[in-house]
Amino acid sequence: MEIFHNLVMGFGVAFTPIHLLYALIGCLLGTLIGVLPGIGPVATIAMLLPITFNLSPVAALIMLAGIYYGAQYGGSTTAILVNIPGESSSVVTCLDGYQMARQGRAGPALATAAIGSFFAGCVATLIIAIAAPPLAEVALKFGPAEYFSLMVFGLIAATVLAHGSLIKAIAMVVWGLLFGLIGTDVNSGVLRYTFNIPELSDGIGFVIVAMGMFGTTEIIANIEMKDKREIFTSKVSNLWPTKQDFKDAWGSVLRGTALGSCLGILPGGGALLASFGAYSLEKKISKNPEKFGKGAIEGVAAPESANNAGAQTSFIPMLTLGIPSNAVMALMIGALMIQGIAPGPQVMNEKPELFWGLIASMWLGNLMLVVLNLPLIGMWVKLLTVPYRYLFPSILVFMSIGVFSLSNNAFDVLIMAIFGVLGYLCAKLECEPAPMILGFILGPLMEENLRRAMLLSRGDPTVFVTKPISAAFMIASVILLVVVALPAIRKKREEAFAEETK
Amino acid sequence: MKIKSPKDFWSGLMFIASGGFFAVWAVFHYQMGTAVRMGPAYFPTLLGGLLTVLGVIILVGSLATGDEEKLRLPFNIVDIAIVVAIYIVAGYLAKWIGISSDWVIIAATLVICALAVLYRPGARGLVLVSAACVFYGYLMKPLGLVLATAALVFVSAFGGHEFKWKEVAILYVVLIVFSVLVFVKGLTLPFPMWPEFMS
Repeated sequence: MEIFHNLVMGFGVAFTPIHLLYALIGCLLGTLIGVLPGIGPVATIAMLLPITFNLSPVAALIMLAGIYYGAQYGGSTTAILVNIPGESSSVVTCLDGYQMARQGRAGPALATAAIGSFFAGCVATLIIAIAAPPLAEVALKFGPAEYFSLMVFGLIAATVLAHGSLIKAIAMVVWGLLFGLIGTDVNSGVLRYTFNIPELSDGIGFVIVAMGMFGTTEIIANIEMKDKREIFTSKVSNLWPTKQDFKDAWGSVLRGTALGSCLGILPGGGALLASFGAYSLEKKISKNPEKFGKGAIEGVAAPESANNAGAQTSFIPMLTLGIPSNAVMALMIGALMIQGIAPGPQVMNEKPELFWGLIASMWLGNLMLVVLNLPLIGMWVKLLTVPYRYLFPSILVFMSIGVFSLSNNAFDVLIMAIFGVLGYLCAKLECEPAPMILGFILGPLMEENLRRAMLLSRGDPTVFVTKPISAAFMIASVILLVVVALPAIRKKREEAFAEETK
Repeated sequence: MKIKSPKDFWSGLMFIASGGFFAVWAVFHYQMGTAVRMGPAYFPTLLGGLLTVLGVIILVGSLATGDEEKLRLPFNIVDIAIVVAIYIVAGYLAKWIGISSDWVIIAATLVICALAVLYRPGARGLVLVSAACVFYGYLMKPLGLVLATAALVFVSAFGGHEFKWKEVAILYVVLIVFSVLVFVKGLTLPFPMWPEFMS
């Protein structure tokens, strides 16, 4: 029972007062930004990255992870009570959650979301503990060709699962890869695309790009929309779901957890995709699909379980392969690198306390979140009455301090502003920023592995299809592309994403 | 010829321009190398070319099919050119007069803010929020945290829908007290508090 032994060790790490404190801070912050629309985990984690430099690696990861899954809990509160998603992954929760609130059943909706999330979080934690070690074992055998193909596969999967035009998503990935190449070329020492600006010689910081594209862009978009909110605060009285609610919801929680866990592992997956997938699945298999959109408890239970499961299992590729599956995981990799830890399969063997401590903290964090969310719901709801015109200058202050403190440099803040404008333009042109961010972080890695693979094969590009593991990734990528390009499936995909834009 | 999807049309152009730039710049400035020993130009040229091709496909597609949904931007392509021109002119002016480029960036950004507020009310949020960050970054070293935060809070708040002096002033006081306590005292980040000439 090695897992058991490791988990005990992990709980030993997570149960120390300092780590419990950071898990609590992470969960609190996560719930806070989850509840508040207009600021997501990406911007928050990006803001806090510079500060984590002063923490131990375990404490830093525990806190940042807490923010991500904490945001899944908080996001549902806003979705149910205000009908605007506090978090993008709670978009579908609005559909039925808000209807339940209007029928005076906000309490059961909130409780179902929290209990479903807790169950999903526990299962996902177990899945990570069981699935990650063997995956890391396999990944240790990867050479440069395998890594390159894996990254190609990951990026393609990310574009397939992004919504909107597929070809635009691919173009955004390529664009991100190019931006990632700015700076000193490690092999030749040549400065690429730096235009004699000394600050660019180390490349553009990932945090800065992420904050610009997700932070400032989001704020600008929110300012442009006038906010109109109708909050059902007074109606949160009876929290406990009825017996009938339990009967209706438990199957959805199970299915949501299972689907969310699977979708979370996929590159490009994570909480957002998981919640959409789970909602459509429930609607499809339900005996009375007409209930959905009118306050069906299944429509709250399934996506809320799924987004929390997906948020947690998306750590698997990051922890075992060192490859981010979404923008939050890319930031986690950034956090590891700040600590001087090279992300990849070796982390698990070299720093077992980091890996298992993080997993144990996730379970504890989920427990804290149920406590934070249910009894304290009134406090979080109060937050929603704070108008956005107070919030956004505050968010900007924290973002700017975070970016400035990276290297005490005004130029970094300028770059953030530029990427904010670029993100705004991309949003107007309906080009997704998330694939670009993934490309950005993988750019240098991909070039490095491509170079090494080609050097080892003496310039023979067939190496990517003659090595079995590499070939499998390449074939999977091609199949994915072909499948999505097929007219029938393309239509389905558009339908699936159409629900979101409504 | 009629453009069926303006959003795709402009995205296509954006990708072509950007990809083309990356590829051409790499070809002319860096070593290509061979497939076995790739030079610094190899990968960027490959990617830049790919981005250009993707851009062309998107562009061509935008002429054939689309929902004809209009692209709504609060500024036009001439405005972008004007903004770029202001920064370039400011850069040359700075060299000619011999002042630090930091102050020039602040001045040029200020001009753009004024232009946006006067002539492009739709772009007010975009310009003022972005400019507020720029002011903050470039004012931090010469003027210190207290005044840089003031610039950030007041300029960005001015970009919002409602702007009430009293409210924003209170918000500013709260934020600066919080920043000083948490970031300067708590996390001991090395920020100057007050303007250079005062300390």
